[in-house]
Amino acid sequence: MMDRTERAGSLKIVGISGSLRSKSYNTALLHALGELAPPEFDISVHLINAIPLFNVDDLEAHGLPEPVVALRAVISAADAVIVASPEYNHSMSGAFKNTLDWLSRKPAVLADKPVLILSATNSPVGGARVQYDVRRVIESVYAHVLAMPEVFLGRAPEKFDGDGRLVDPATREALEKQLAAFRDWILRVRLPVHA
Amino acid sequence: MDARLRIVGISGSLRRASYNTATLVAMRELAPPDMSVAIVPLNGIPMFNDDDFAADGFPPPVAHLRAEVERADGIILASPEYNHSMTGALKNAIDWLSRKPVSIYGKPVCIVSAAGSLLGGSRAQYDLRKVLQPLEALVLAMPEVFIGRAQDKFDAEGRLVDEATRTVLANQMNVFREWILRLRTPAGV
Repeated sequence: MMDRTERAGSLKIVGISGSLRSKSYNTALLHALGELAPPEFDISVHLINAIPLFNVDDLEAHGLPEPVVALRAVISAADAVIVASPEYNHSMSGAFKNTLDWLSRKPAVLADKPVLILSATNSPVGGARVQYDVRRVIESVYAHVLAMPEVFLGRAPEKFDGDGRLVDPATREALEKQLAAFRDWILRVRLPVHA
Repeated sequence: MDARLRIVGISGSLRRASYNTATLVAMRELAPPDMSVAIVPLNGIPMFNDDDFAADGFPPPVAHLRAEVERADGIILASPEYNHSMTGALKNAIDWLSRKPVSIYGKPVCIVSAAGSLLGGSRAQYDLRKVLQPLEALVLAMPEVFIGRAQDKFDAEGRLVDEATRTVLANQMNVFREWILRLRTPAGV
């Protein structure tokens, strides 16, 4: 049995950005969460730039490539995962879907993990379409995705300053509420992490 | 003008013995005589990164793929289903094809899928349709072809041996041919 109260002292959270570009709003959004999250959240942000295209032939010949092994390891050791995805052509980036394809290889490291889905876009819609695709794909590997509240960060260029800092008060407030809800969700559904 | 219709087939799977690539090979065999099918693999296509794109433009494998798509009369996409959607590799290729000028804009497209499961990749197909819609690719609506239990329908060399599936794919190529020709007809004629 897990001891929920004892481990609540520190929650190891892995943030994964679905965008590869250095000034990504989604990566910036993940970096902004630290100061908005409950105090027990310990958030590390991970990029997927080095993850190669999934190819079963390569997997059978060489096993999991090193960047995939590293990402799978940090997720396995985490209490929860936050993904932030841009919306490309009404869905997630190919790079991000490719990462999820790697993570789904058995043992599926997202299985039983509490997951929070975020998205930031230039458009006013804020990535609603991509979030539902990410939700469906991540739920297919038995992750536990927070149902509500949802945050769609639209018009991202107006909400971050020139240094990539999230400065929009309404967005900050929405994220604070969402992260508090995510904390409760983690404590309800997580399994003990075997380090 | 070359009377042949030039079709480019793209498989969403990178593995050599892919059932989806084998489906494209079967469609090439079963095509009407005035259709040619060239299969362009996605191995070697890098992940889309706007920083790299801004610095270096299209990488050579992407430039090749875009050129093949742009000069094609029609595109066949054959996608496995990974985690209830298309492969990351195929979505990444579409992300590259969506860069302006949109390579796949206005192109007649036929979607097929082969999968080990009974469902035959239907969820991947509907995601593909959704993603292609904003690019104004002209996806053949009906009939649909889902090849389920693929392992029972191809032999060890990857040849499609299931007669019913061969008949369905031959018909699909005929219908796709009609779709391409219909879209070519100038409006109002």
